[in-house]
Amino acid sequence: MTDRNLIRNFSIIAHIDHGKSTLADRILELTDSVSKREMEEQILDNMDIERERGITVKARAVKMAYKADDGKTYEFNLIDTPGHVDFNYEVSRSLAACEGALLVVDATQGIEAQTLANTYLALDNNLEILPVVNKIDLVSADIEGTRKEIEDIIGIPASDCPCVSAKTGLNVKDLLERIVTDIPSPSGDENAPLKCLIFDSYYDSYKGVVVYVRVQDGKVRAGTRIKMMNTGAAFDVVEVGYMSAFGLVPSDEISAGEVGYITASIKTVSDTRVGDTVTEESRPTETPFPGFKKAQPMVFAGIYPEDGADYEALKDALMKLQLNDASLTFEPETSVALGFGFRCGFLGLLHMEIMEERLEREFDLDIITTAPSVIYKVIMKNGETRFIDNPAVYPEPDEIDEAQEPVVDANIIVPTEYVGGIMDLCQKRRGIYVNMKYIDPKRAELKYILPLNEIIYDFFDSLKSRSKGYASLDYELKGYMPSSLVKLDILINGEKVDALSFIVFSDNAYTRGRKIAVALKENIPRQLFEIPIQASVGGRVIARETVKAMRKDVLAKCYGGDITRKKKLLEKQKEGKKKMRKLGSVEVPPETFTAVLKMDEDE
Amino acid sequence: MKKLGVYIHIPFCVHKCSYCDFYSVTNTLLTEDYFSALKEQILNFKSYLKDWTVDSVYIGGGTPSCVDSKYIVDIMETLKSVVKFVEKPEITIESNPGTLDTKKIKDYLNCGINRLSIGLQSADDEELKMLSRIHDKSAFESAYMLARMLGFKNVNVDIMYALPGQKEETLMNTIDYVTSLDPEHISFYGLRVEEGTPLAAREDLLEKIPDEDAQYNMYIHAAKRLEKAGYSQYEISNFSKKRMMCRHNCRYWKSGDYIGFGPGAASYINGELYSYTKDIQSFILKPTDFFVNIEKSEKLTIRQQATQYVMLGLRLARGVEAKEYKLRFGRDLEEDYGEKLEKYIDMKYAKRTDKGFRLTRAGLLVSNTILSDILDFDKK
Repeated sequence: MTDRNLIRNFSIIAHIDHGKSTLADRILELTDSVSKREMEEQILDNMDIERERGITVKARAVKMAYKADDGKTYEFNLIDTPGHVDFNYEVSRSLAACEGALLVVDATQGIEAQTLANTYLALDNNLEILPVVNKIDLVSADIEGTRKEIEDIIGIPASDCPCVSAKTGLNVKDLLERIVTDIPSPSGDENAPLKCLIFDSYYDSYKGVVVYVRVQDGKVRAGTRIKMMNTGAAFDVVEVGYMSAFGLVPSDEISAGEVGYITASIKTVSDTRVGDTVTEESRPTETPFPGFKKAQPMVFAGIYPEDGADYEALKDALMKLQLNDASLTFEPETSVALGFGFRCGFLGLLHMEIMEERLEREFDLDIITTAPSVIYKVIMKNGETRFIDNPAVYPEPDEIDEAQEPVVDANIIVPTEYVGGIMDLCQKRRGIYVNMKYIDPKRAELKYILPLNEIIYDFFDSLKSRSKGYASLDYELKGYMPSSLVKLDILINGEKVDALSFIVFSDNAYTRGRKIAVALKENIPRQLFEIPIQASVGGRVIARETVKAMRKDVLAKCYGGDITRKKKLLEKQKEGKKKMRKLGSVEVPPETFTAVLKMDEDE
Repeated sequence: MKKLGVYIHIPFCVHKCSYCDFYSVTNTLLTEDYFSALKEQILNFKSYLKDWTVDSVYIGGGTPSCVDSKYIVDIMETLKSVVKFVEKPEITIESNPGTLDTKKIKDYLNCGINRLSIGLQSADDEELKMLSRIHDKSAFESAYMLARMLGFKNVNVDIMYALPGQKEETLMNTIDYVTSLDPEHISFYGLRVEEGTPLAAREDLLEKIPDEDAQYNMYIHAAKRLEKAGYSQYEISNFSKKRMMCRHNCRYWKSGDYIGFGPGAASYINGELYSYTKDIQSFILKPTDFFVNIEKSEKLTIRQQATQYVMLGLRLARGVEAKEYKLRFGRDLEEDYGEKLEKYIDMKYAKRTDKGFRLTRAGLLVSNTILSDILDFDKK
């Protein structure tokens, strides 16, 4: 057990690409937690998808030993936080387990929208914030400007803050010293009743749920009978220990001030709610942590197996993903077009894309995802209020008194030369201008109220393309606003395809309908008859395309040697047909749905 | 005696055409060794073939006409020594117009070959160039005339459509030209871009291939033109004058028995399908070693044989016949396919005939779609 005065628990907060992962790597190296040779690139981000997207999705924690200039060896617990706006909730729970946070700002970019949002979260959690100016090795680095920005915008002193290059390692050693001197050691009483904060958990097929905790008071060891104060579930602890850079390291006990893990043959993550307090059943703490807000899914989509036979496998996979990610919700739904599947809720579009990729990669499933939808609020003529996350069940227009859609407070930081383009984009996305202020002569902060529906498609991509990648976005759900919404239906060969229906702002219905019709035409293979494709609103057709009839599909030369080959060819064709979705008499390849739903939403 | 067709593969070409995926090599140094191996293989089958009588032989390739005709004569003699022939067998040899000469034609006729197939493909020299054929229209014309003069009374000419850059007009010119020469038989087939062929990599040519609708029109209009000129369609890609259908190829489509010799050749005999590996070297080394040369073999159940009969029979203009189906496989055609074909009959892709079913011309052209729907080889 380490002397509590020698423990430093901290997070790194930064905008994407400001060098958080690289800095974490350097810190791991300098504390000899991993050798250079062992260093896999960015060891904290250990999911494939994170590696590829260059973002951290799930929080990770690692314990390090640092021998400081004062001759003492300190225990550093670095708790990693996700950077994307979809994962604000995960950030908040990670921060709550720390006493301090390194605020990393790219000296060539300055402060961005997410830096601000995460800093406010850290301040909310009473964390000591240590600003770090990164990338000072680059020619375009503006160290003084960045320091000034930190002081002006965030309002914390930065005149003597560490200036480093995580890439080259320059001054990172100094930063470690500042962690020792600036970040407070944890408070807590190891003799008091056990009180731990759950800040993450994941399911391991051997150990059951592995719960990441920050111990506030008391101590926990194998055999301790623990209780989750919120859910009331009780378990016998099987193992406790620390997170090293390479995995779990069991120890005898973990105690007040420390960060570690607990396993207790727990079968489901839902028993280990993030934010819940772990205590001892026989001697519970009297001051549990205030419960965290449960992460609310904001984006919903149907997920269906391409092959109907994979329904159970999909269910199994979603359950496994949910074990690690309580913010994922799902419930069974059926679609005439797609058969049996699930209505899934996600924190945002990125979260949804990551889940799709994980289903395909980790569970080897071919899936079809329907168009993402937000939750609409519909006030019916009979006074009833309904929340609709599935276009298929959207009420008929004559039953609706008023339709409302969720809106967000969006905060965009953008170099002044792109302000015009970004304002134009926000305007096109039905944004309501709130205000604009100049952060410095080169950058402005824009505030808009935007419909969430407009953000979940490709707003982020458009934002980046209109600002050469410089604009950054952060948003927070504001509430509901009345809106003019219509349900757009797609008919293939005269039959409505439920999986392709969606809710759209009425002025955009025609453009969207046309695009979908064209995309379908391009994706549905010719069949033996002509297939009309129509987009309609309230029974009125607003766009029509036609898939022409197939004219030629024949193996011309068919002689002796070809017979086996021809048989193979026909069998393959038959096999391909089996995968087709039958919409009435029309056969549609499953990819069509994805292709149509993922079509580019250019302006 | 059971009737048998014999296919002999000559895997040599002067030059490989850009679209062709039949097995052939351009290394003519192997010719001598190849033919002695081929002879050995045929001789080895003597006892196996004792119960069969051959009524059709097809010498295909490759380009059988590109090798010295002495080899062909020798192989014909070998074949006659191992198996009985009917009185008037049909014996066809494929040829490329650029490789025919007086001696070869005379030799062919003398050893019993009585049907000559000439690969013209197109009478438009530009189109021929795109296919990287070695001949031109005038080479074809002299070869054709020579064959006629020397005594071939049964000649087939190959014509292709859906060629890169081809127009309906140039296709019609080719058809008019060929019909004016009055061959007994015309094979009229569409270009298919096969994976792995040089053509498949030629983006510039691929984009010149007529689109699906244009191909459809080419096919329908050409078929009408051929019929008008006295050729009736008896199979998806085959037209002939009265009673001049190709007996050997009809055997394939009627699911009759045939045996193949040489690498890449296929056989269907006694309900068993097998084909030889496309590897001339191993064939030359061990021509009689069944295990070295067999690439795949499959014993079909009666049910699968019946399925194959329908798969091939629906390629024929006359279609499939209930009586024959019952006789050969003991099954009821109406019961097996009546309901499945109903929707295609409604869409005018298929028709009921007084004997069974057939596909219409539009149906023939989309036969893969229809067949893959109605056939089920998994049913044993």
